[in-house]
Amino acid sequence: WEGSWGLYFPQTTYSDCIYVGQAAGTPVLQVHAMQEKASEQPYFCLYWRQLQKTALYASWFHIDAVTGMIYMNKTLDWTDFESISSSRVPHATRLILKVAAAPISQKMLCSQSANVEVSLTFFNSTAPTCGQIKLDRLCFPDRDTNPHIKENRIPGPMRQLRRFTHADICPNYTISYRVESETPVPFVLNGTTSELVVTAPVDREEKEFYRLVLMCLIKTEDTMHTLVTPMHINIFDEDDSPPYVNGTDTEDVLIEFSRSKGAAFGNMFVYDRDTTSTYHKEQSQNKYVWTLLTNDSWINDTFTIQQNFSEEKPIFGNVRGTVYKYKLRLNKNISVDERRSFQLDFLVNDTTFRGPEGTVMLHFNVTILPVPITFSNITYFFVLSRKSMTYAQIGKVCVDNCLKFKGIEIAYHLELGDRNISANVQSCYTAVNVARNLEDMSGVLYVNDTEPLRRPECQELQFVLVAQEQHKELQAKTIVIIIFEGEAYPLSMEGQRSLACAEKRQRGECETFRGLGTPTGRCQWRQGTEKVISENYSTCSPDLRTCPDGYCDVIESKNISICPQDCTHEPIIGGHERGLMLGIKAGHGTCYCYSEKCFCEQDDMKEEICDDMCKTVIATA
Amino acid sequence: RDELIKGQGRGCLLKEIHLNVTDLGLGYQTKEELIFRYCSGPCYDSETNYDKILNNLTQNKKLDKESPSQTCCRPIAFDDDLSFLDDSLEYHTLKKHSAKKCACV
Repeated sequence: WEGSWGLYFPQTTYSDCIYVGQAAGTPVLQVHAMQEKASEQPYFCLYWRQLQKTALYASWFHIDAVTGMIYMNKTLDWTDFESISSSRVPHATRLILKVAAAPISQKMLCSQSANVEVSLTFFNSTAPTCGQIKLDRLCFPDRDTNPHIKENRIPGPMRQLRRFTHADICPNYTISYRVESETPVPFVLNGTTSELVVTAPVDREEKEFYRLVLMCLIKTEDTMHTLVTPMHINIFDEDDSPPYVNGTDTEDVLIEFSRSKGAAFGNMFVYDRDTTSTYHKEQSQNKYVWTLLTNDSWINDTFTIQQNFSEEKPIFGNVRGTVYKYKLRLNKNISVDERRSFQLDFLVNDTTFRGPEGTVMLHFNVTILPVPITFSNITYFFVLSRKSMTYAQIGKVCVDNCLKFKGIEIAYHLELGDRNISANVQSCYTAVNVARNLEDMSGVLYVNDTEPLRRPECQELQFVLVAQEQHKELQAKTIVIIIFEGEAYPLSMEGQRSLACAEKRQRGECETFRGLGTPTGRCQWRQGTEKVISENYSTCSPDLRTCPDGYCDVIESKNISICPQDCTHEPIIGGHERGLMLGIKAGHGTCYCYSEKCFCEQDDMKEEICDDMCKTVIATA
Repeated sequence: RDELIKGQGRGCLLKEIHLNVTDLGLGYQTKEELIFRYCSGPCYDSETNYDKILNNLTQNKKLDKESPSQTCCRPIAFDDDLSFLDDSLEYHTLKKHSAKKCACV
C-alpha cells in the first residue's frame, strides 16, 4: 500500500501540557514529517476516525496544514475540563489527538496516511506563574522520547524544541537553544524557529545513532542560565546494500559415511551490511531467497539449502549487519552404492534491494562416494570364561567405519561356520548371539545360553558373522571364533532365586555372587570414596566396564536384572541424581536395587572384610 | 482431637521439626531448609486380638526367634514434593519425604 509516500514522523509520540486559561490562537505543539523527495511537501491534518468517535474536544484544536503547528481554537475554561474529565483522576486528564501527514498532492488522502499520536495532559488548574516554575521545565519536556530518522532521506527540520505553553509563562525571559556534539554531526539548530534541523542525508551503515547535547539558554533580567540535556537520535535502516561474498564462492562437499536425511554439509557465508529484523520473522525470512540452478531431478529431490541469518557487529566496522549462512542439506537418505560428483550452483537474491546486483551466485562442489560394506578385520577372536553367565558381553563387532555411519542401517546375525557337524555340536551354537548396538551400527556379542558352556565339545565355537545393509541388501561376512576356557561351574550351583548383582550391598557378598551378565561368573564391586552424591557411588555390578556407566545398552536392556543402575524407570529412593532418561546418574553412598526399585544410602556399617573363611568360599566355588 | 477416628490410636500424632536439608543425611549439599513432619506415639489402643495373641506367643517363646511386627504409628499420606537448589545450582525434588497424616497400621 502506497499510503506513506515516504513521509514519516521522526517521533512515535508527541506530548505536552495544557492549562485552564490557555488562550485561543496560542500554539501548543509542532509536529514534523520527514520527506523522501523534495516534491513531497507534507500536508498535515488532525484525524479522528480511528478513535471510537470524534472526541468532544476535537473542535478545541486546529493544525496548520503546512507547518504542522497545533493551535488552540478556543480559550480553555473550567467547564471545559469538567466536560471531559473522568472522576478517577480529578486534577488532570489526557487528550489524545492524531495527526496525519500526506504529500500536498495527495492531501485528500491525508487521513489515510502515516499518523502519529499527540498526547496532551489537561490540568484542572491555571498555568503556574513564572515564579513557581522550575527553569528546566521551561526548556525541556518532562519525559522525552528519542527521535529517529531514516537513512538516505532529504534533509529538513525534524523537531521543535520550544515548549510553547511553558515558554509563554515567563514573557520577560529570552529562551534560546544550542546543539553541541564532540564530533561533527549533520544536525544544526535553526535559531529563528528553535527547530532541530537535519542538514544532510545520513547513512546507517556509517553511523547508527548520533549523540547530541542540547543546551537551553535562559536570559533573565540579571543572569544567564544554561541547562543541558542529552539527545540520542537513532538512524533507521533500509535495504540499500547488496549482498556480497567474502573470499571464495565455492565450497567442496564430500558425502561419505554420513548420508542420512537432514545431514548438513559445507558452510557458505553471504554478507549484507543491512540489518534484518528477527521480530518480523515472516518478512525477514522472505527477504533473502535462494534458488537451486539445476534441472537434474535427482539433485532437486535429494538436496535443499538451509539458510540461517544472524546479526553481527564487529565485522561490519561496529555497525550492525547481517550474515547469512548456507548449508547443503539432504532431503532424504542417500543409498550406500551412490557415486556421483557434480557442481551445484545456487543463486541468493536480496529481494528488497532496489539497485542492480542484488544477487550472488554460490557453488557447492559435491562428491558422493559409495560406502563399501566390508570387514577388513579378517577374523574376530574372543576368549571367555566358561563360568560366564547369560548376557555377559563378549565383545564388539563392526563393519569397516560402522561407528561413522549415519543413514546406513546394518543388521548383524550369526551363522554356523561348518554345516556338516553333528546335531550335538550344532546345539553348542545357541551359546552366543549378537545384537545391534542402539546408538551406532556396531554389534555386540553376548552369552545367550550357559548350558553349552559346561559341555566339553562346546569349548571352541566358530561362527560366520553376517552384516547386512538393510536398504540395498549388501552383505559382508567374517569369521568369529569364541573360545570358552577354564573350569565350568557344576550344575548344582544353578537355581539361585535372584540373579541380580545389584541387590548386593556389600563387597563381600557381591564378589562371591554369580549374577546375570557376569563375564567371569562373579559380580564386581565398585567402591565409591566420596561422602556426597557422586557418579562414582558404591555398587555391585556384573561388569564394571559396562555397568554402571550411566547408559542402558542393548544387552542391559534385555533384562532389568542385569544392570538396573543404568536401566531403571522407577523413582529412586535416597540421595541421588537421576539419569537423563533411565537409571541413576549419581548416588549417595551405596546404590542397590531390588528388581527395578533402587535405593541409594550411606552405609555406616563397617565394610565386612573378606576374611579367611570368605576366601575359602570363593576358592571352592 | 476429634479428627482422630476412634481406634486409630490417640497417642499416634503428627509432629514437626524444622531442619536443614543437609540434616536429612541424603548427601545433598545445600543451604535450604524444610519442615519435616513425622508420626510418633504409642498404638496400644488400636490393638486387636491378633496383636494380643502375637504378644502372648512371643512372651511364651512359642515363636522361636521370630518377632512379627506389631501395630505401629506410620504415615498414611505424605506431604507435597519438596524441591530445592543445591550448592552446584542443580534442582532436586524429594518425594514422599514427610508425613501428612498418621495412623496405627
